[in-house]
Amino acid sequence: MITDRALPASGWEVDRQRWERLTALWMIVMLALFPILLGLGAFMRIVQSHLLPTLLPEWFYAVMTLHGLGMVGTWFVGGMAAVSYIVARYVRPRPVISHIAFWATLLGVVLLLVTTLLGKFGVGWYFLYPLPFYPAGVWPTWATWTFLLALAVLGVGWTIWAVDLLYAIAQRYSLRVALGWPYIRSGTGPEIPPALPIVTVSLISALSGFLAAVIILVLSVLEWAGTGFSNDALLMKNLIFFFGHVLVNITMYLGVVLVYELLPHYAQRPWKMSRLVAIAWNTVLFLVLFAYAHHLYMDFVQPQWLQVLGQVSSYFISVPAAVVTIFSTLVLVFGAPMQWTLSSLLLYLGVMGWAIGGVAAVIDSTIAVNVRFHNTLWVPAHFHTYYLMGVVLMLLGFAAHFGREASKQPENGRLAKVIVTLLVIGGYGFLMMFYLGGAQSVPRRYAVYPDEVQQGVTYAQVSLAFIALLTTGVLLYLWETGRRYWHALRAST
Amino acid sequence: MARSSRLNVMRLGALWATLLIGSSLWAFAGEESVKSLPNEGRYLYRPVPDIPLRDVEGRPLWLSSLWKERPVLLTLIFTRCSGICSPLLRSLKSAVEVVGGLGSDYHIVVLSFDPRDTLSDMRELADHLELSGKRGWIFAVAAPEDIARVVKATGFWFVREESSQQYDHPAMVIGIREGRLLRFLVGGTVAPVRLNEVVRELRGEFVPAYPLPRPGKVIFRCAQYDPESGRWRPDWGFLLLLLPGVLTLFGTVWIFHRGRFFRDEGGPGEGNTRVS
Repeated sequence: MITDRALPASGWEVDRQRWERLTALWMIVMLALFPILLGLGAFMRIVQSHLLPTLLPEWFYAVMTLHGLGMVGTWFVGGMAAVSYIVARYVRPRPVISHIAFWATLLGVVLLLVTTLLGKFGVGWYFLYPLPFYPAGVWPTWATWTFLLALAVLGVGWTIWAVDLLYAIAQRYSLRVALGWPYIRSGTGPEIPPALPIVTVSLISALSGFLAAVIILVLSVLEWAGTGFSNDALLMKNLIFFFGHVLVNITMYLGVVLVYELLPHYAQRPWKMSRLVAIAWNTVLFLVLFAYAHHLYMDFVQPQWLQVLGQVSSYFISVPAAVVTIFSTLVLVFGAPMQWTLSSLLLYLGVMGWAIGGVAAVIDSTIAVNVRFHNTLWVPAHFHTYYLMGVVLMLLGFAAHFGREASKQPENGRLAKVIVTLLVIGGYGFLMMFYLGGAQSVPRRYAVYPDEVQQGVTYAQVSLAFIALLTTGVLLYLWETGRRYWHALRAST
Repeated sequence: MARSSRLNVMRLGALWATLLIGSSLWAFAGEESVKSLPNEGRYLYRPVPDIPLRDVEGRPLWLSSLWKERPVLLTLIFTRCSGICSPLLRSLKSAVEVVGGLGSDYHIVVLSFDPRDTLSDMRELADHLELSGKRGWIFAVAAPEDIARVVKATGFWFVREESSQQYDHPAMVIGIREGRLLRFLVGGTVAPVRLNEVVRELRGEFVPAYPLPRPGKVIFRCAQYDPESGRWRPDWGFLLLLLPGVLTLFGTVWIFHRGRFFRDEGGPGEGNTRVS
């Protein structure tokens, strides 16, 4: 649990309890949403397996939108909540802001449920312009407005949250210290947790992404309010992928913060701040602003220099963040008296999943390859790898750690191994079907595969077996972790 | 943790789960009501079976012999129809007169799915609609097993109602190019504007799914591209791309500037805090 090694003890006990309650609340919501959203993903693969032949394809797209938005949002807020809890060891974010973010998230989720499940809004989580405004009779106009309102509510709540965390850091550290600049200059500096520069970089990047979302919303409302003004599709696509890519990237980085903070606890070795770590994450702060451009390789009107910048950024962003973290993780674990618990196993495997997904992403971000892989199943393959087998495992690792610390209950080691085995076999098997489909040019976002790519149906059918294993692993995890939360809640009364 | 907090946590969890599950059930419960309309997305680009037909003159011909000449608009009806068939054909006839191109750009095949319909029935229907001998219109019949193949491949369906001796069926016009289903028009009224889109697609033209912006109405263009010279230059909209990064930079500096009032200046690593 939170230690008071970094902050004055006075009044801290009250804060500690508030943060524990808040974090428990966020984790319970995250863990409750996960199986539901997983079910929506399974539903999509069932549709692609032709097991629901009478289902209208628009349901596939509505569910795809909810699944995508739900997963991206759930793991972002889970990451923010976990990082808030971690950061509260060193600085003082305000719990009330986290509460506001919680209620904004709740309201945003309700609006998203309404727009997708009742309005059949099916544009995908990236709501690419101008699709939301041309529903072709599939969804009503109110669904588009409700979606924009949901984005606005979530955006405001999350921006306030990110600003508050950043402000809390600013109240204790200068910008140059928070970003680890003294380490870059001289190799040494004030003793700061290595997670601090990552949190700072993530929050700054998040703000830029949210600002892009604000511009998108303003431009969308301007057009749709009947002003006669039309938007430029290229500008909107750039802004949307800037926002989307940054949001997904920083969710990943929030997961990495948990690895930096928690894995040393299990390795019984410190993870020290170093020049390499500082350089790596400062590079990320710069490159994350440009890497999104790899989403626009197929847009011939995009300036060529931006395409090249997209490829170069995509290549180099993986080196500092991923390679430094992966290398550091291996060094930390190698020869250490490692306690392999459910939490540490998931954190470690999360880093490895990030590595594997990162390689697949780099392959796809190569323009010459993207010509073939663009909009094939390779794309969901790679982002599911660094989500499902990356940040999701990291956050499940944190949730397990938090539950174990709160409940003080011993872990069932055998069950932990069964859970991890099921998650790994189920997860990678499921992903493999995406990769194989992508390598054979099976398109993504198809509810029903045409005859030319019937192998997509076979891969979808095989993936169902792996999804069953994965779901079993998730349910066992929820049972094992859920009962800890239950014990902790009971013990605290 | 206080008991009330525990209850609050549980209530909130229950609220989330109820909302998710409740909305899902409600949403899927309403699906049956729209099931009767064939969905274009499910059948697009699928091959249409090549079946033998007989036109009103009794001449045998294959569907493929028609689409090899030019694209085909296929509609399935029955001559004893007291419902949508005649209004659909009249609407199609009117729309074709507006859009044009029939016979030169495409054929229209009016095919009966009722096994009772004879060539004479079809001829009578064509006469009644004043379409006999009109260029491009082909009224035809086919064997029931062949009709079944077309029905399966296109999403069309029909159900006989014994009480009225009628068939329940959707009104559909199916665009076929080179043996593949290219577009659907569903509904008893064929709007010329929609038919025009289908005809343009049958011709192989690109038909945008949404109207392109009118000149001068896009004030924030990202870039201007000159196809003649191949040159690109940034436009005002490009500044909006830079805005998030620039604002974030200033915002971050401002946040840390404000935060300095809480920090111990010159303290070890500037890492101490005055928070009590």
